[in-house]
Amino acid sequence: MTMRAWFYDGKSATRRDVEIQVIGKNFYLAEQERRHGPFAFEELNYAGQQGVSHVYKYNGLDGWRMGMQGSEPAELKGLLPARILYGRWIDKIGLGKAMVVFAAISAGVVAVILWTPQWLAPLIPQSVEQQLGDALVGDFGGRFCDTPKGKKALAKMAAQMDGDVSDIEVQVANIDMLNAVALPGGKVIIFNGLLQDTPSADAVAGVLAHEIGHVRKRHVMQSLIRQMGLSVLMGGMDGNVGGTLNGILSMGYSRAAESEADKHAIEVLAKSNISPIPTADFLLSSPNWRALKIRAEIKTKKPKTVQAAIMPVH
Amino acid sequence: MGGVWQNCTDQFTSHHVTLGVYRFWATTRERKYLWAETRFIDDRLEWTGTGLELLIGFVLVIILFFVPLFGIQFLQNALVMRGEIAAAGSLTLLLFILIFYITGFARYRALRYRLSRTYWHGIRGGSDDQGLGYGVSYIWKTFVGYAVLGLLIPWSMMTLWNERWSKMSFGQHQFHAIGDYSDTFKRYLLFYLSPILLLVAGFAIGALSFAFESPATAAISGALLVLFFYFGLGLIAMAFYAKFFRVAVDGLSLQKLDFGFSARTKDWLILFLGDVALWLLAAIAVALPAIVLAGTFGALNDFQMPQPGSDFEAAYLSFLLPMVLFALIPFMLVGPFIRYRHWRFFITYLQCYGEINLDELTQSETTTSRHGEGLLDAFDVGGI
Repeated sequence: MTMRAWFYDGKSATRRDVEIQVIGKNFYLAEQERRHGPFAFEELNYAGQQGVSHVYKYNGLDGWRMGMQGSEPAELKGLLPARILYGRWIDKIGLGKAMVVFAAISAGVVAVILWTPQWLAPLIPQSVEQQLGDALVGDFGGRFCDTPKGKKALAKMAAQMDGDVSDIEVQVANIDMLNAVALPGGKVIIFNGLLQDTPSADAVAGVLAHEIGHVRKRHVMQSLIRQMGLSVLMGGMDGNVGGTLNGILSMGYSRAAESEADKHAIEVLAKSNISPIPTADFLLSSPNWRALKIRAEIKTKKPKTVQAAIMPVH
Repeated sequence: MGGVWQNCTDQFTSHHVTLGVYRFWATTRERKYLWAETRFIDDRLEWTGTGLELLIGFVLVIILFFVPLFGIQFLQNALVMRGEIAAAGSLTLLLFILIFYITGFARYRALRYRLSRTYWHGIRGGSDDQGLGYGVSYIWKTFVGYAVLGLLIPWSMMTLWNERWSKMSFGQHQFHAIGDYSDTFKRYLLFYLSPILLLVAGFAIGALSFAFESPATAAISGALLVLFFYFGLGLIAMAFYAKFFRVAVDGLSLQKLDFGFSARTKDWLILFLGDVALWLLAAIAVALPAIVLAGTFGALNDFQMPQPGSDFEAAYLSFLLPMVLFALIPFMLVGPFIRYRHWRFFITYLQCYGEINLDELTQSETTTSRHGEGLLDAFDVGGI
């Protein structure tokens, strides 16, 4: 039986109708007056289906194509490469199994990305974080309020919150916002608005203890690493889905970190004999997420302090 | 069409279990199908790009672009915090120019990549130009286009098209692109001037209604103006683009082969309305089961927006996330159909005249890059 095929040699665009002539593991492609080859079967690769033809390529010969219609001729069984449907090894183990494997790998990747920041953050040397913080903050655009008296008071307060505060730098920034932040390198910045609006020094101490909690638990570094990891991972998804998930995941993270910092603050306040009531009172008077989280924390995890902190509120 | 459906379901399942990484292979599979279904003159096209190339392209973008971007943003934050607003501003400008350059560069590379992976009669296309210069052209031509009150936008679009295509080749033949922007200028003026006319008409109607003391006329004409602003302008923009694309493709030739594109505004409109219909179908497919479920089982009765003090992550994870994922299913399934329609539209209206000597058409000598159009993917400026 003659085996017909169409053939492009990859050098010119001429389409040739040929007969496949098999000689051992090699073959020739014969036209009426001309014979092409020899070619080796083991150099063939399956290129896919085009209409009714199954098409093969040849290693190292750009544009070389041989197309055959219908099912594989019996004479070529075992000589031609397998027809690929999804991908070489997916076809081998089956699509269903491949999906399960993929799902398992994906779950592993997600788990690693979610947990890595916690593992990685403590491994990053304090000096590197210090440099990052210095590079980022500088003199904060000249907005730091520096009076010797204020500095002394803050240092005293911080020392009361935390035994050794040599690696923590507390500053007040002249910004009229009810907030405080912890930045890389142990830099805690309290905004002036907070100092002005806080009724008692105990509340300031509570906020400060919370921010120091972020520093001690290496949250800032964690969140930097997590943001980078997530944005790379989610890049693989279509923009919107990735963005939404990214938001939800990093939100989940920051809540965990916040309550860890809250826990730290409550413990520290208790140790220094400062009542948490003014802090809770003050935070609850401004309905933002932070205040809400502190309340949830007090409600669920620290029953002893809770009583004290919640009572004046309700 | 069966193939599209197959693509659709494959893509959908594999996309989810691989966190979207499969999309590079999905794109490849889809293109293999679309190319193989396309007959050009007497034979089918063949797509030889691979998923791995697209993945490599993507990873390159992450390393070469997003990591530096992260650094620049960090620097920017630092500058803002230090109060160096001017420096932060110029850094933003620099970033803007960089993104512009890369957009142009990416557009060029995508065309080059697609041509070098497209085979017809065993012959492929490509270009030996890396496209670095095209990125510069893209910046200044776009800038000039907008600078003169936007009047030169057709010029910048057309010259960029011509520049891009003139650097491409198929087999040993170079493409020639000589589209003339002035042929599209009348349509552009229609788009350009209509808002001004609209404004004048608005004033005239306002004045008339005031003169005749007829608030009803004012309200109706006002509504008409708003409608025109949203739909009319869109339609005129489409009319311009239809003309632009016809002229651009008409100016394209490969040796003795001339190309043409015959879709008129009406055809583009039908394409667009078809897409809208598909999206609506998807929306109905989401809304109907959701309404039925909510109505029959009261599935949402227990749901409360997270209250202060409650664990709002749990609320998101148990209610909102499944809802979002559920809503995504129909929309993800629509994607391949829309891409199929666009490809079909493009192929149906693409015309080819003249002759090509197959014996004299020889293999392309251009170099091919081993990575795909990652940049274009990242900036989402591709697609037909």
